Amino acid sequence: MMRKVKLPKIQKWNKYFTAGLIMTVIALLLAVVGLFWTPYGTTDMSAAERFHAPSLMHPFGTDNFGRDILSRVMKGMGTTIFISTLVVAGSGGAGILIGALTGYFGGILDEAIMRVTDAINGFPSILLALVVISVMGGGRQNLIISLAIVFTPSFVRIVRSEFIRLRDADYIMRARLMGVGRARILFIHILPNIFSTFWVSVMIGFNNAILAESGMSYLGVGVKPPDASLGNMLSDAQGYLMTAPWYALAPGLAIVWVVLGFSLLSEGIRRNG
Amino acid sequence: MKYLAKKIITLIMTLFLVSVAAFVAFQIIPGDVVTSILGTEATPEREEQLREELGLNDPPVKRYVSWVGDVLKGDLGVSYRYSKNMNEMMPVTELIGDKLPVTLWLAAIAVILIIVAAIPLGVFWAKSKSHAMDAFMGVFTQAAMAIPSFFLGIIVTYLFGIVFKVFAPGGYVSYQDNFPGFLGYLFFPALSVAIPKIAMTARFLRNSMLTEMKADYVRTAYSKGCSDRRVMYGHVLRNAMMPVITFLGMIIAEIVAGSIVVEQVFGLPGIGRLLISSISTRDFPVVEILILYITFVVIFVYFLVDILYRVIDPRISNR
Amino acid sequence: MIKIENLSVAFDGAEVVKNVNLEIADGEILGVVGESGSGKSVTALTLMGLVSKEAAVTSGRIFYDDVVLASAGRPRDMALYRAYQGSRMSMVFQEPMTSLNPTKRVGGQVEEMLRLHASDLTGEQRKERVLETFLKVGLKDAKRVYDSYPHQLSGGMRQRAMIAMAVILHPGLVVADEPTTALDVSVQNQIIALLREINKEQKNSMLFITHDLNLARRLCHRVAVMKDGRVVESGNVEEIFESPKEAYTKRLIEAVPSRIKKEEKAKQRNVTAEGVKAEENILEVKDLNVFYKEGSNSLFSGKKKKPVVSEASFIMKRGETLGLVGESGCGKTSLSKAILGINKDIEGSVIHYSTRPQMIFQDPYSSLNPSKTIGWLLQEPLRVQSLADKTKAMTDKDREAAAYDMLHRVGMEDKYFYRRPSQLSGGQRQRISIGQALITRPGFVIADEPVSALDVTIQAQIMELMRSFQEEMKLSFLFISHDINVVYQMSDRIMVMKEGRIVEIGATKEVFDNPKEEYTRQLLREA
Repeated sequence: MMRKVKLPKIQKWNKYFTAGLIMTVIALLLAVVGLFWTPYGTTDMSAAERFHAPSLMHPFGTDNFGRDILSRVMKGMGTTIFISTLVVAGSGGAGILIGALTGYFGGILDEAIMRVTDAINGFPSILLALVVISVMGGGRQNLIISLAIVFTPSFVRIVRSEFIRLRDADYIMRARLMGVGRARILFIHILPNIFSTFWVSVMIGFNNAILAESGMSYLGVGVKPPDASLGNMLSDAQGYLMTAPWYALAPGLAIVWVVLGFSLLSEGIRRNG
Repeated sequence: MKYLAKKIITLIMTLFLVSVAAFVAFQIIPGDVVTSILGTEATPEREEQLREELGLNDPPVKRYVSWVGDVLKGDLGVSYRYSKNMNEMMPVTELIGDKLPVTLWLAAIAVILIIVAAIPLGVFWAKSKSHAMDAFMGVFTQAAMAIPSFFLGIIVTYLFGIVFKVFAPGGYVSYQDNFPGFLGYLFFPALSVAIPKIAMTARFLRNSMLTEMKADYVRTAYSKGCSDRRVMYGHVLRNAMMPVITFLGMIIAEIVAGSIVVEQVFGLPGIGRLLISSISTRDFPVVEILILYITFVVIFVYFLVDILYRVIDPRISNR
Repeated sequence: MIKIENLSVAFDGAEVVKNVNLEIADGEILGVVGESGSGKSVTALTLMGLVSKEAAVTSGRIFYDDVVLASAGRPRDMALYRAYQGSRMSMVFQEPMTSLNPTKRVGGQVEEMLRLHASDLTGEQRKERVLETFLKVGLKDAKRVYDSYPHQLSGGMRQRAMIAMAVILHPGLVVADEPTTALDVSVQNQIIALLREINKEQKNSMLFITHDLNLARRLCHRVAVMKDGRVVESGNVEEIFESPKEAYTKRLIEAVPSRIKKEEKAKQRNVTAEGVKAEENILEVKDLNVFYKEGSNSLFSGKKKKPVVSEASFIMKRGETLGLVGESGCGKTSLSKAILGINKDIEGSVIHYSTRPQMIFQDPYSSLNPSKTIGWLLQEPLRVQSLADKTKAMTDKDREAAAYDMLHRVGMEDKYFYRRPSQLSGGQRQRISIGQALITRPGFVIADEPVSALDVTIQAQIMELMRSFQEEMKLSFLFISHDINVVYQMSDRIMVMKEGRIVEIGATKEVFDNPKEEYTRQLLREA
């Protein structure tokens, strides 16, 4: 009898929503197209084409190896969005499970898990990801796992506090009196009621994941060259800020574009809520 | 007082947990550090000797206790990577020594910038009655929040360093040599850390004020004949600031994280760069101590914010 | 003299106050009575210049003596209002907790009145004047109140402080919007007495807004009844009560649960102190202690146990209604949760002779799962029942039919089946709550203030619905309420609780006519 997940209804399109939607769709389109086709090969180097300023041939210019920046931004956006999606899916799922159980049942397990999530939450997130990476080693897979671990506590917190709020609600008390079983109360009676709150935190989490992934790659502990990622492109570009400022601009603006588009989208949904 | 004691116990417990976690993460999981120090071509005797020297042959609990004991005594261990000379290993204390103040000052200046800029901005926003201004502030802060601090750092470097030449990128001035010059150089990195948080805090304050404006006591104040100004500054602002203090406390961790990343952009010799380089060279004793340091700072700030909150909010302190 | 002339107020073009005419003579108390949404609060807030900015006066004028405070088509004159607000007219609100600034000391908040409007006083004179006024409104420990924050005072004290604030400058008009609704009955009476006293002494005009006709009758000189934004009837209090002209007023008066009407009904049943005769027991409670753990469930909190209900013993018979009365905090809710096993921290015994006892809550807004449809909600008990007990398995079709049947039984139409609780009114939600509780035909139901959150006319309907189910299903109700009149009307027997103890139990008529305990007498007097 589980009903479809109810996303917030859009009663009226507002400007935030429209702008956010357009930005997000463009970003997704570039990223998806980038999976199959890019104007130039992302690793095609050419000594003759080093540091070309933006032109019709290379809309975002070329980098120190003569690679086309637009092509690399497309690939990089794909990588960033893909990683962030997996991170949010993993940490969100874990957050629901752990948050539901600890919030509803409470007790010593809850106490222990809360101490751990408090400690993790109080910790600079990127730092923790760095620690996990340094213990497990770098690479794309470990990056995803470490970021998922880092983001889980915030989801646990939100889900848990919602479950605590609702577990003593009158209608849940009545459900218990009717003899509804625990699993049914958790996932059929309570869970649908937290989706609107959860959805907001997923949107925020997604943005944070994008910022964290690009930050890690910028620091050289995430996606490593020659794979393109927005973060490591920025890190490369920084060295050529004097000669080729456009090199830094393109990947940087790409990050801002994706994050801003998504924030506006969620702001639009929130305002219509 | 009972509350204070409770908080201090929690503080100590958290530190204990973090130290155990750090110990397990860096001394148990990574496996054999001896090979990583000496390389694969060392003789078994030399390996055994080093293992004995580092105390790696002892059981984990004993190693933890002696490690914590050493740390409390101020002996932070030695780096696996750096050495003073051929025969003497580099103590972590010396490695960290002059780097910590750089990061702490960076974070402190960022916090000051946030407070100084966000509060007037938030109040102005909450008071603005025009729809256009409201929308502008909304989009403006959203955009500011979407810029990662390292990209902001690059923009600031390009604009103020290369185009306007207000400061010399890479021309870091040590605080031991010239303290005002040091603070001056930190201003732009701090600005890069602060801008997204200023936007965030201003939004938070504005929302908090709008919520408070709807409270019943505001209607009471108006019913007494208070002017808008008096209601705003005499009643609303103070109450709206309380959640903002908690919020500032909560983003301290992010400010520290932002500082660590931004050090990389501006070439600041703080603990952030040391941390990154230690992680990439797997220099675990250094990483471990840095993590403990940063945790301590963050938790201590939380603690202070919590106490501050109790002092200024009568609903809690008098309970 | 206050005069409201042909006033209409609209929000976004929708008129919520329509052509209202009211007059309050000097020294007169005018009661405005109406149910929620009748426009009574908007009228008062408009008079005070406090109505939200989206509201527009679309017709009429408001006079304070000869000055026009507001008139249609003129933007609100804030400067003019500020000259009147506080000094010449002041207001007391419903929720004294939220109406005071939580982070400022009470004394300072009252003193702000003087700072604003009596700037010639020195700081010391101001403080003295505040303390004096505190004493006048019955705050005996004036100095302590002066230095307290709102959360450190009781509800009654907070409301007295609000009243002190309102009358400290002897304003010509005091508006009181449901000033006693959030308070216990005994405190309610004291506040009413205080308002009357102030009116006598300061000779202010008062506008008293309430949903409770009885209260209006006790305090006001004249009454105006409002419905859907209009004044339907106004006049002298006694006239209105003795010979109401309008049908709506009549209904309001009839809906007020009164003792007189119950007389015949109570006689029909053969009730003694032990319950309806010749019926089997449905519930036995013996030496029940219920505990309340202090502090949060944390590692640090020492688990101090203190009983909130002590040594409760009583039985209930099949088909009877036992009314449980007492002031808030006396342990009514704790007792009922312990009986249902929701609170497990108990000593003593609770024996049920019925299966799956159910509960109906006070707040119809929180007792239905907002994410489900009405049809789903009505079917859920049946679904769960068939999951647990295969012999009671039903086909989807039968279950749906049963739910539709119950929907009709509680007086609602088919179209509501696929709606969600947020689309229903409070009364409708309470109907669904009742239907959901009764669809599996439990023998015993606890109803915790089931009508307290509802308007009087709706109250009567819900009580009638409960009674009809009771007769049909031979249900037993443990009926909890702070409203003695409601309990009188519903109950066969009455149980009185005070500070966690049952002080008196007996047949309704018996308890009302010959209360044995002083506390019961006091409760009855106040009601």
